[in-house]
Amino acid sequence: MRRHAGAIVLFGLAAVAPLATRDAYFLDTIVLILMWGAISSAWNVAGGYAGQVSLGHAAFFGIGAYSAAVLTVHWSLSPWIGLGLGMALSVVAGLVIGYLSNRLRGPYFVLATIAFAQVLLIAASRWREMTMGSEGIPVPFKQGFWTLGLASKVSWLYLTLAFALVLYLVQVYLEVSRMGYQLAGVREDEDAAQALGIPGRRLKVIAIAMSAALTSAGGTFWAQYVGFVDPFYVFSIDLSVLFALNAIIGGAGTALGPFLGSILITSLEHYLRATLSDIAPGLIGVHLIIYGCLLIVMVRFVPQGLIGALGALFIRRARTARGERLART
Amino acid sequence: MLALESVTKRFGGLTAVGGVSLDVDEGDLLGIIGPNGAGKTTLFNVIAGYYRPESGRVVFEGRDLTGHPPHEICRLGLTRTFQIVKPFGNLSVRDNVMIGALTRVRSVAAARAEADRGVERCGLGDYADVVAKSLPIGLRKRLELARALATRPRLLLLDEVMAGLNPAELAAMVELIRRVHAEGVTLVVIEHIMAAIMRLTRRIVVLHHGEKIAEGVPAQIARDPKVVDAYLGEEFTLE
Repeated sequence: MRRHAGAIVLFGLAAVAPLATRDAYFLDTIVLILMWGAISSAWNVAGGYAGQVSLGHAAFFGIGAYSAAVLTVHWSLSPWIGLGLGMALSVVAGLVIGYLSNRLRGPYFVLATIAFAQVLLIAASRWREMTMGSEGIPVPFKQGFWTLGLASKVSWLYLTLAFALVLYLVQVYLEVSRMGYQLAGVREDEDAAQALGIPGRRLKVIAIAMSAALTSAGGTFWAQYVGFVDPFYVFSIDLSVLFALNAIIGGAGTALGPFLGSILITSLEHYLRATLSDIAPGLIGVHLIIYGCLLIVMVRFVPQGLIGALGALFIRRARTARGERLART
Repeated sequence: MLALESVTKRFGGLTAVGGVSLDVDEGDLLGIIGPNGAGKTTLFNVIAGYYRPESGRVVFEGRDLTGHPPHEICRLGLTRTFQIVKPFGNLSVRDNVMIGALTRVRSVAAARAEADRGVERCGLGDYADVVAKSLPIGLRKRLELARALATRPRLLLLDEVMAGLNPAELAAMVELIRRVHAEGVTLVVIEHIMAAIMRLTRRIVVLHHGEKIAEGVPAQIARDPKVVDAYLGEEFTLE
């Protein structure tokens, strides 16, 4: 239980937040913290646990966003069906990316993932009959759970909280299960893992496909929440970077890390957007510079992320406490 | 148990292993020696499925291994260690060994229990919770062995597990290898430390420029003029 204390506090606070306030801006921030945290967790399955760092996860996010929006607009189908379709398509796309991960290493793999998202961006912005091209698709709002037309921010908060919990549990599974340990072996040293009987290539592909499907689900929820799908946003490299950034800043390969990263980055972005645009319209976009600096500082000084830094702090404190006890006796 | 049938592996114009044939019987403790670049590690890489030979076959317990991926070969009961040890650096010693055990055991709890026994057996008991990358080289070599043993091999290929050890560590490692052999694991050992390999093994194969130049019992090998010329430099005396 102790190892989940952080998650219990975090998700517990989110759950009781609506009791404290009904402020739409505040609740919106919490919904997005959970949403981006969950999607970064999905990235973390491939990028953190399997060590396959992708900067193209917006591809899967976009597939999820579009699947639901297109099915709803053209065939009036429930976004839940779109969610399923998006996940299925993303598994296929994930298998392709997974195959590439066994052909390309390090920076070449990263470049391939970026290119993949760019290809989908072009496809989505040109396939006008289906996607309405570069104008984007407004997602029709129909009240009800089956149509994912949730009028209140509070309902959205609980839906994203449930999604976040699922992602947290998926990651915990990857820390305690046979597959998780084997995946850790592959991440640490693929040759050694293979020598010990682990089908490294297959495991990497499975992890990437899982990661893709979960990211896609996040894309569907996000599109339904925001109500509009713009190809230049959902397939953007900015978004891919954001997924990776949250996880890396929080602590890649840890279940809580992506959520910690999201708390920091999402609230920072909300705050900066509001204040900077108040000061001068020209300052929009400055938050990206601040992200960049933050990332450099984190990678340079706390490479294990916030989780690592907090963990080290606790250990040091425990040590000093023990030291004091020893000194007294 | 293991048979190599004129195995050849080339890298571009260089023949790393040229037509090597070799038989290992169940219960053997075979040594492979030879100067640097003789093709010893390449031979292991071919047997364990990391390289595909240009010609020849590797047969393990009647099954042709050529073209099988490394993880399948391990599952068939043939495990190798790496000369340049490859610990899972950020994981604990116990978790390293446990990952090996998970190849045979599905339950994590059972694999952990088995790992604890394996860690103990290889003299790593005090380091079970230590992160593998912080181990000194002597202990890393032992971890490499412990992890490989956790996959329950019937044939184990040891690639210089004694290199870089101090005399005390060396003696312990020789003792450990003997015990593993006594427990029924067939061993093929690549080694440079002549004193150790001469005492440890019953049969030695000498490679030079990718070819087998001699095979026999240690005393015979030490006196073989071809081996003395290519590798030993002067007659190696067993006291």
